[in-house]
Amino acid sequence: MGREWDGGPVITARNLCKMYGPHLALDDVNLEIPSGAVGILGPNGAGKSTLFKCLLGLIKTTSGDGTVLGYDIRTEGDMIRSRIGYMPEYDALDPGLAAVDQVRYAGELLGMNPAHATRRAHEVLEYVGLKDQRYRKIETFSTGMKQATKLACAIIHDPEILICDEPTNGLDQRAREFMLQTLRRTVSEGGRSVLMSSHVMDDIQDVCDRIVMIHKGKIVVQRRIEDLAKQVDREIEISVWGGASRMQAALEGRGFEVRRLGRVLRVGRVDDSTTFSILEAAVEAGVQVRQMQEYEPDLEDIFLLIMDRLGAKVRGTSELMTEGHTGGGPLD
Amino acid sequence: MTDDGIDIGGGKTRMEVAYGSGDGDEEAQAIVAKREATLGAIFEQSYRPWEGELGPRWVRNYAIFRHHVYGLFRGTGHRHYHPMVKLIILVILLFSLMPILMLFLASLSVGGEMADFFGRMWGINRYNLWGQVLGYFPRNLCCWPLLTALVVGGMISDDRRNGTSAIYFSRPVTRLDYIAMKYLSVAVVLGFVIVLSYFAYYTSAIIFNAEGWAYLIDTLPIFLGGLFAGILVVITYTSIGLALSSISQSRFFAAIAFLSLIYGTKLLALLVDTQFDSSILYILSPYDCLAHIGQWLLGIESNYEHPLSFSIVSILAVNAASIGLLAARVSSLEVTRE
Repeated sequence: MGREWDGGPVITARNLCKMYGPHLALDDVNLEIPSGAVGILGPNGAGKSTLFKCLLGLIKTTSGDGTVLGYDIRTEGDMIRSRIGYMPEYDALDPGLAAVDQVRYAGELLGMNPAHATRRAHEVLEYVGLKDQRYRKIETFSTGMKQATKLACAIIHDPEILICDEPTNGLDQRAREFMLQTLRRTVSEGGRSVLMSSHVMDDIQDVCDRIVMIHKGKIVVQRRIEDLAKQVDREIEISVWGGASRMQAALEGRGFEVRRLGRVLRVGRVDDSTTFSILEAAVEAGVQVRQMQEYEPDLEDIFLLIMDRLGAKVRGTSELMTEGHTGGGPLD
Repeated sequence: MTDDGIDIGGGKTRMEVAYGSGDGDEEAQAIVAKREATLGAIFEQSYRPWEGELGPRWVRNYAIFRHHVYGLFRGTGHRHYHPMVKLIILVILLFSLMPILMLFLASLSVGGEMADFFGRMWGINRYNLWGQVLGYFPRNLCCWPLLTALVVGGMISDDRRNGTSAIYFSRPVTRLDYIAMKYLSVAVVLGFVIVLSYFAYYTSAIIFNAEGWAYLIDTLPIFLGGLFAGILVVITYTSIGLALSSISQSRFFAAIAFLSLIYGTKLLALLVDTQFDSSILYILSPYDCLAHIGQWLLGIESNYEHPLSFSIVSILAVNAASIGLLAARVSSLEVTRE
């Protein structure tokens, strides 16, 4: 199947720029993505799709260079697309075909022998949970089943990198959990790399251990989620039952930095004795502490903090998916 | 910013209020929610690697061709053609083979007026060979455009509507391969009906009348002229049909636009010819240009007053414009989003 991969970064980019007319879609992108699961984050129009198209070798870059599995994205697009699987965000299935035929055809388009493609189509449809529905026409499928079929199409040739564009789009909770579990298993059991974009931070956090964040065509962060979380101030979160104002006053009286929203209080962690001090304050204020935990910043927190540092004043990730935060019209 | 991005050190995380109606300062009672039972399912998921080899470019291209052509003959597994479409294509094929039946009947009647009539009407001569490809009304004038409309209808428009272009272009299938294989698929289906029926007509005339080598040598140049005209019909109709299919998301639009173009230009030219006694507008009608070239190839008297070169240039221009439009529209098909 061509060149053997030596185990270094699966994707690299150096000073990658892409312009659509006067519009700069990718601005001096430098990337080094190791194998594993990586989340691509960014508001709508930030340049995620343009980056994917560049990595797939589908569009010519304006300047800069890059490699995917050692293949040059400018000249070896065909080889790259043979060795990666791409799961598009939108429907990319023929409604008149049965799932097994659609997946088999996707394999044949990669150059698989029809008999091998058929056998492999059965295997991957079982893997994505569609074993019993594989002979049904796609037009009768739910959104979750269509997403699973797209995933099956993407992994039919056992690609070394799987690129998933919004894999949980439109899925209910159960289907979403299954999709995420399947992606996790593809990384952990299959040893493949997953590059996944999503607007749902929980999904990225569930599957990925690293993130790459794009904003206005620039890479603003590429790091392990764990390392990013360590940068954020540590806090202890408590939920109290009755007398939250008294509790806040008692804690502030002891010199703690306190943030409060309703009955939830976050107390700045000073050292190991902070927990005892909180309990003493609760006794003093006469309130019940129903829950107390060290607050672990999640990816949404990190994302919002980054956006805040970039000057985008937002209250939640849903607000970020608008053109107002991308510096104008959509870039891709 | 640090080397690998923005620094978020010392940042404060967001806060979300706890579920409940109050802010925590009121007296409240706890409500214990009952956990919903979940149904289990026996399913063991395991990732299985694949060690096979991927075939070269021609294997991928043949897969596209097979997908579109086999769909006509098989019920499942390949591109879906509606049963009515398959039935109409079958009827058109049988209709185009009708002269063979008449040739057979002619071969049964030895001598007499009937044999002479059958011979003139369906026997092998320049006019009948031209008619088999381009001339007979309503068979060829109506059937070939209808056949093309049915075959090209969803050929590219379906990919645009369903987003299946992403299936092709996220794989090592180039846009040139995509266009070439779609083109070849349509041309083969049209050729199967138009050219094959022409070939069958000619060969059956030889077989039924037990003609010898001298007859074959005499008529072969005329046959080849007709064959070339038939191939020209297939190429031109495929180019126009696919171009129209590539500009829409609807099978119906592509089909009806093709029929409108063929019949509309012919009707307009006919009206102008009738009213103003000028055949020049026939150069706008692809059918008439093909008919004009076909008449020249088979060596029969032209029905048109304008020079043959006008029709040749017109056909070349129509094909070039159609292929240009097809290439431009296919290059706009997106992988990530439309």
